[in-house]
Amino acid sequence: MSSFNKHEQFNANGLTKIMGGKKLSKYRVAVDVGGTFTDVFIFNEENGDIKVTKTPSTPSNPGQGILNGLDKAEVPLSEVTLFSHGTTVGTNALITRRLPPTALVTTEGFRDVIEIRRSTKPDLWDAYKDVAPPYIRRRDRLEVKERVDYDGNIVTPLDEEEARQLGAVLKKRGMEAVAICFMNSYANPEHELRMKEILQEELPDAFICTSAEVLPEIFEHERFSTTVVNAVLGPVAGKYLKKLTGHLREKGYQGEVLVLHCGGGVMTAETVSQCAARIASSGIAAGAISTSYIAKLCGYQNAMGLDMGGTSTDISLMYEGNIRITKDWAIEYGYPIMFPSIEILTIGAGGGSEAWIDEGKSLRNGPQSAGADPGPVCYNKGGTMPTNTDANLVLGRLNTKILGGAISLDKESAEKVIAEKIAQPFNFSTVEAANAIIKVANANMCDALKLISVRRGYDPREFALVAFGGAGSLHAAHLAQEMEIPVVIVPPFPGITSAMGCLLVDVRHDLSKTYLADVNKVKVEDLEREYEDLEAQAQKLLEEENTPTERMQLLRFLEMRYVGQWRSLSVPVSRPINSLEEAIETFHNEHQREYAFANRDQAVQIYGLHVAAIGTVPKPNLKKYPKEGSAKEGFIGTRQVYFEEAGGFVAAKIYDRAKIPAGATFEGPAIVEQLDSTVVVPPGVSVEVDEYLNIIMRIGKRG
Amino acid sequence: MTRQLDPVTFEVLKNAFANLVDQMAEQILRTCYSFVIYSRDFSNALCDAQGNTVMQGTQDIAVHVGTLHLTAKAVLETFGDDINPGDVFIVNDPYTGGTHFCDTRIVRPVFYDGEMIAMMLSNGHWADVGGTVPGSFDVNAKNHYGEGMRITPVKIWDRGKYRFDVANMMVANMRIPEERLGDLRAQNEATRVGETQLLRLVEKYGKDTVLQAFNECQDYVERVAKAKISELPQGTWETVDYIDQDPEVGDGLIPIKVKMTIEGDKINYDLTGSHSYIGCFLNSGGGASLSAIVAGTKTFFPDIPLNAGFYRVVNAVLPEDSVVNAPWPVAVTGFCSGAYEKIMNAIFELWSHVIPERALACSFNLEYLLIGGWDKRQDSENFFMWYDWMAGGHGGRSSKDGSNCTAPLFGVGLSVQPCEGQERLSPVLTTSHCIATDSGGPGKYRGGCGVEKGGTVLDSAGTVMSYCCDRGRSITWGIFGGLPSIPHSVRLNPGTDKERNLGTIFSNVPINVGDSFTRPSAGGGGLGDPIERDPKAVLEDVIDGYVSVERARKDYGVIISVIDEDLCHYVVDEEETDKKRKYIRTNRKVWLAEEPAFVREKYLDGEIDQLDLIRRYGVILDWHNNELLPETTREFRAMLQKRSAAYWA
Repeated sequence: MSSFNKHEQFNANGLTKIMGGKKLSKYRVAVDVGGTFTDVFIFNEENGDIKVTKTPSTPSNPGQGILNGLDKAEVPLSEVTLFSHGTTVGTNALITRRLPPTALVTTEGFRDVIEIRRSTKPDLWDAYKDVAPPYIRRRDRLEVKERVDYDGNIVTPLDEEEARQLGAVLKKRGMEAVAICFMNSYANPEHELRMKEILQEELPDAFICTSAEVLPEIFEHERFSTTVVNAVLGPVAGKYLKKLTGHLREKGYQGEVLVLHCGGGVMTAETVSQCAARIASSGIAAGAISTSYIAKLCGYQNAMGLDMGGTSTDISLMYEGNIRITKDWAIEYGYPIMFPSIEILTIGAGGGSEAWIDEGKSLRNGPQSAGADPGPVCYNKGGTMPTNTDANLVLGRLNTKILGGAISLDKESAEKVIAEKIAQPFNFSTVEAANAIIKVANANMCDALKLISVRRGYDPREFALVAFGGAGSLHAAHLAQEMEIPVVIVPPFPGITSAMGCLLVDVRHDLSKTYLADVNKVKVEDLEREYEDLEAQAQKLLEEENTPTERMQLLRFLEMRYVGQWRSLSVPVSRPINSLEEAIETFHNEHQREYAFANRDQAVQIYGLHVAAIGTVPKPNLKKYPKEGSAKEGFIGTRQVYFEEAGGFVAAKIYDRAKIPAGATFEGPAIVEQLDSTVVVPPGVSVEVDEYLNIIMRIGKRG
Repeated sequence: MTRQLDPVTFEVLKNAFANLVDQMAEQILRTCYSFVIYSRDFSNALCDAQGNTVMQGTQDIAVHVGTLHLTAKAVLETFGDDINPGDVFIVNDPYTGGTHFCDTRIVRPVFYDGEMIAMMLSNGHWADVGGTVPGSFDVNAKNHYGEGMRITPVKIWDRGKYRFDVANMMVANMRIPEERLGDLRAQNEATRVGETQLLRLVEKYGKDTVLQAFNECQDYVERVAKAKISELPQGTWETVDYIDQDPEVGDGLIPIKVKMTIEGDKINYDLTGSHSYIGCFLNSGGGASLSAIVAGTKTFFPDIPLNAGFYRVVNAVLPEDSVVNAPWPVAVTGFCSGAYEKIMNAIFELWSHVIPERALACSFNLEYLLIGGWDKRQDSENFFMWYDWMAGGHGGRSSKDGSNCTAPLFGVGLSVQPCEGQERLSPVLTTSHCIATDSGGPGKYRGGCGVEKGGTVLDSAGTVMSYCCDRGRSITWGIFGGLPSIPHSVRLNPGTDKERNLGTIFSNVPINVGDSFTRPSAGGGGLGDPIERDPKAVLEDVIDGYVSVERARKDYGVIISVIDEDLCHYVVDEEETDKKRKYIRTNRKVWLAEEPAFVREKYLDGEIDQLDLIRRYGVILDWHNNELLPETTREFRAMLQKRSAAYWA
């Protein structure tokens, strides 16, 4: 794919001293390996050129797709200072169960913890829908005599003879990885560590991890599950990165190979197998990171990200500059991964989502999707149900030629299918039906935006909406109107915004442990010591990754709850801790915001400690353009576009995004077309192109 | 009612109602105090001003389905015109449509411009509401007076003023009162969240549109349900399921009869012929039985949203003074383990004939064990309640095995508690929490596996144990030729000379420090003839230890030899398997007719084991003393003839 023209170039601020690189080097490379495409984003630090390529992903050998993309971009790898990427390697391995032979070794009587789980199902009413089977089959889950109680006391000593016999069995079975998960090991890891030693003697080449090392937290299923994911992905991630690093080295790359993890940071190949569970959903965090970066660039500390593609939409939220994090996530229902992860809400609404009428004569939208194949009806590739893309075409919002003319859309077939499937049953005109399809799709997306905002106590009126992905900007302005979100930001390259996220993050590790104590009884010195222990471990990880001391940053968080309550809230604390009062006050305030009440008379309990260790990585500095241009430069004509609020079809101005300069302003109704996306500007919405070439839409009050 | 809203406004409001009810759930989950609620034993609803359910939460527990609107109506009936802005009500009365005392409901009327337009309901299972037994489950209760606090509709906020005196009086009758106030607050906040969201919708769309949408949502569900029902075969189907016994009587199963008629676009259920109410708390009130009918039916229409529109297509006849419609003041607190899940499973069986591709054999019965006493561990002087329920196996299905280790039917969203959390809170050390081998009922499609959980009681004083369960005799059954799973019961000090089988229902049994206990949850019943199960599937089950080599031979007629256990290397002996299967085919109907007293002798001699008794001979003993139960055996055998033997080739 070509590099973008002058208007679309970014510039660096003359950064030379880059992590792991040489002075001659000048490129930073970010890669987002998706299910269908591998996106490569290349940033030239000297002249600010940006190149992007899109190549088909190669799931059987994921590294190949990356190399293909790099070849296509013609980047000399010897001149690359930084390579960072998000990958679906972990997700795919888990979902397909193509995992290395892995055993679980556990306390006698607890072999089935990971199969019993918490016993729930996501689909309460469908007796034929099951939770996926565990990652380790029952035959490979073995027990050993040992027991530790809730307080860390040894109830039954580890039977070392049995442990050795068990090691011999695992050896015989050729196990490549082992998860050692004992009851209450968070309170005393002694037995797990001893078991590990014994197994290491029997299986010197296997990847062995213990639950207390992976996640020293209470609740056996959650800890075991995280450890099992870590164990099965350790060898997967290790092999994958070794291979990829080898290929990159062959082509002359000498720096670190960075991998994005779910917590919104990167890891190096050196540490990745130790916390392999974190790359279980490596790529998905990238969009949220870009959202946060772009919103801050535009001066917003509160933002929601809307990444809408062909089949689904990913939604994320940043509040006061921090991306919302959750510890409640999983690749498949029932198998939690308890490392902090950027909270992403994914819903089945995309350009290819199908509109249909159910038995109750209600108009529905999604979650079924025509996807890329056969795709929407207007692609003329065999689609038979009307999709959002078809509706947008009928409404004139999409041009009949997209991707710079590479694809022609057949408006007639879109009209025909909408008329037949939706308009006739409801006695609508075709255009009314198309408009209804989009309104239902928008309502579904608004529900998702509400889930992540209103439901958590955030007021959308204080947020900006960052819209990207192929279809985000087609819908964003109307969503913002509905939600009373005042501002919509559309970044310059919506289609590769996620990939860019990989260049915008720091190395990050999160360490946590369960620590139960009454805030009135706990000694600050004890707490300080616990934090120092965690920090020492964290620092070690950063050192293994060659992070210079001046780039290290350590943050502390305290998890608290009201005595008697079941869920806890995490709040930041100072380093070193001077007093707990501030943290307690923050806790009350956060409780008030999230749950609409706080009770200052009620006792507060500490539940856990968390340390985030950050190794800062220099970020590209994007060039500012003088805001001197005029929208006229990008004006290419007018087209009839349907807006219900304007009473029907109205003449909308059409702009070519590549030619709109910084400082341009114009009013809706308008359509902005670019290679990989289309921006819909409804009547009453005013647009300004900012100094970074972002489109800023200001949404007036509705009505 | 005709349709007036355009399709977009309707779809938007319908989804918005579901969204606001789910927001209420989120609020409760994050702020509640009862671990029972935290484990998801709660539900929320938006009702219209007449108390009809407009929307219920998508993740709500089945047992509350079809009962919340009755509580809303009870409030309306009690207070009539005296319902004012700022009022909030509390109710837990099973005799006015509730379920049991622990299910405490907060009801908030929503006003707009001085007019009541809706009611927000939040129902949570409080961990204790008083009474003689910790956790408020007195299995021996004959009437409700000793069971716990009965709360008929009461204003807990009166025109915005919190009635602290009333609240204090209520929780003063409960264990750990401050936690109950925490639950009260959490549920009240949830109804407020619902109110705020609803009023936003009213501001945006106008009152008339929202009220119109209330009606159209109910009409919509009715329309969808009727459309689906009209396509089904018409006719009448009948079956019977059983509660183990009336403890006052002893031998003899307690029948619950269900007759279903599909006529036009409606479904009628007639439970006439069900036994009269019994002398323990496994009876069900009318509201709870209606819930079982609605929830059982809903399982065959998983996509239909839940609201009053669904109740319009389902009609139920519940005989007065029966085990499925017990009158005040008969004890009904254990209804879930008793009549409730029997009705559900019976309905599943009936629907398995109507829609065979969704068939479902019987699933394990809800069970819960309570140990309460004084925690005497270091630094501790608290009253503890170890209140434990297990996952179990669900019934075999027409195209696959039943699901292993899943929450009970009365609420498949109910999560089991982490043992590490329990050990921190109570002086009970869990010694095992694992799949029970051979617990899945044999079948062409095996029932899902149940779980075995055992423990030891540590430093404590005044400790007592109670158990609320069933299906120790009316054992979880198979269909279309499938076989039963295993009987429930708690064993005290298993494997020692002090071993005692305590059965499936008992209260306040004294427990000493150092006593151990264990109990299984049943697997699901099998579906289809086990002799027709693919031997390869049996082999995989043996490798994973879901089925033992011995039961593979006895239940499935599959002969498996162990080559190398370390390498999981097992093989099927095909020739021997053919022979064995022929042998079983030839003899099994004879076995089912063998003289029960003679079969019992073989069991006492150790010639056959308990699973042989049940699965092969259909003989049921009193597991406590191994006495034959002749009447129970007769009924159990009749059941096996009808559900299993009739399908054997």
